[in-house]
Amino acid sequence: MLRRTKIGTILATFSLNDNRTAAVRILLADDDAARAGALTKVLSADASLTILRPRPGELLADAVVALAPDVVLVDMARPDRDALDGFRVVASNSPRPIVLFVDQDDPAFMEEAIGAGVSSYNVLGVPPPDVKPILRAAAALFRHHQIARSELRQAETRLREQETVNRAKAILIRDRRMAEPDAYRWLRTRAMASGRRIPDVAQDVVAGEKQAKDPGRLNAPERTPQNTHEEGAQ
Amino acid sequence: MSTRVRIGMLRLTDSAPVVVARALGLFDSLDIHPTLSIEPSWANVADKLTYGLLDAAVMLPPLALASALGLRGPAAKLIVPMGLSQGGNTIVLGGEAIKESAGLPAGARLLAWLAGQQGRPRIAVVHRFSTHNLLLRYWLSLTGVDPDKDIETVVVPPEQVVSALASGQIAGFCAGAPWGVTAEMAGAGSVLLGTSDIWPFHPEKCLAVREEWATANPEALTRLLRALMRAQVICDKPEQADSVVAALADADGLALPREAARAALPGGSGHEQIHFHGAGAAFPAPPHAMWFLRQMRRWGWIAPETNIGTVARTLYRPDLFSLAARMEDLFVSPVHSRNFEDSDAFAAGPASEISTLPF
Repeated sequence: MLRRTKIGTILATFSLNDNRTAAVRILLADDDAARAGALTKVLSADASLTILRPRPGELLADAVVALAPDVVLVDMARPDRDALDGFRVVASNSPRPIVLFVDQDDPAFMEEAIGAGVSSYNVLGVPPPDVKPILRAAAALFRHHQIARSELRQAETRLREQETVNRAKAILIRDRRMAEPDAYRWLRTRAMASGRRIPDVAQDVVAGEKQAKDPGRLNAPERTPQNTHEEGAQ
Repeated sequence: MSTRVRIGMLRLTDSAPVVVARALGLFDSLDIHPTLSIEPSWANVADKLTYGLLDAAVMLPPLALASALGLRGPAAKLIVPMGLSQGGNTIVLGGEAIKESAGLPAGARLLAWLAGQQGRPRIAVVHRFSTHNLLLRYWLSLTGVDPDKDIETVVVPPEQVVSALASGQIAGFCAGAPWGVTAEMAGAGSVLLGTSDIWPFHPEKCLAVREEWATANPEALTRLLRALMRAQVICDKPEQADSVVAALADADGLALPREAARAALPGGSGHEQIHFHGAGAAFPAPPHAMWFLRQMRRWGWIAPETNIGTVARTLYRPDLFSLAARMEDLFVSPVHSRNFEDSDAFAAGPASEISTLPF
């Protein structure tokens, strides 16, 4: 079966009937404008690559028919990636099967690309582009953005927690007439006694203050590390 | 011993057994602590199962079979130790003309609608290797419509089918709840029939597990199946619907719209209700795998020489199901627990039953 063999061997069996220019046409389906722009820049450094983008709102399958790419790079967060799974693009009476790019000899590479959140498809029927370096570049860039985003999220969380602790301290200073170091010690002692984090204890103080101002509202449920939702596989 | 297990799923009502087991502490009570991963596409679920980024997933049976056969990438080593749900999908056609034929049999409505279409109308399904696509194609053929020549099939994510229908990108669709009713309420289309009208109690979602994980963690697998069986019993009770809906609507989880989720649950008001436990929904019946495989072969997606009986037996594991079900005191029918290999009666399977239906 075609898919069981290495992609290079499959593609090599196709006749050289390409009447377009020799450039490899890459359809980049990524709604993250910054990331797509950065990847376009990286790939455009190779003059033999032409980077194409789908129109906003265009069905992925329609973009493949309209733009006739050789390779489709897809952000795995796109729900319409399913459109490429096992479907054939029927263009000008000749169905062109779309095949997920798989490096059978290098599962670690495939795992890294999937972990980074990008996948690559070959549209068969034309001579073989060398896909691995393209996917490697895309995976590296996606991973870079992934790390940057998670660092940003962590920084935002830290800032938000610091803000909560400051507000809780202000409340304690005002209502309990504590000095600032005492307010912090009060939060820390409570956190240690209940086995929770200082920002969570601070959150309760702030929530208690809100409730006092708006007695009709129920108290927010206690947030503990045990009941926070586990997210994502990786 | 606590074991790590990562379970993938999509934002769909029939992911209920997994989120209910989590919300009601059923996993905890059996000392199994899964990480739930909400995926945007079926392709993601299949890729992550293949490359070990997930251990188990709520899966479309035909996609589990296609993945195992290497039809969409490298052949994945999977097993299906239980079913998760039955039914729940609707076939919807767009435009004004379809409204005029209300009350007529679905087949007659389809043919009248087709006659009024220009060119090949595009009908969307959620994945090529989906129950939706295979049941749609089966019904179209019964009605005398060639699913490859008379229509064009495209894949559109379920959450986008209603807007795609309203904007004219597609002419109709077959998708899970709540999108059929949503399309009708938006005036974009009319529900023609449900997939349970085509095959009553048809298997819809199953649990697919990486064979490697299952082999390394046989006891954890049994506990996982038991927790899901307990959740299925709860999901099937109309009086428990409120807690099921709450688990599905959890903002930190699937965040599904409450009313739409309720409509597709047992006792709900939608065109189709999903079954999770009754009528053998949990049993991973090899004849069901055979039906899907025969349909895939019929459409030329599987090489004719493939031994589909071997594929069905390797993937579907009623033995693992029965082990867990007995520990839960759930009834396992003697027919079901018979050795599949010895039974020619199963070879005919559901296909012979449903071909006698008046559609």
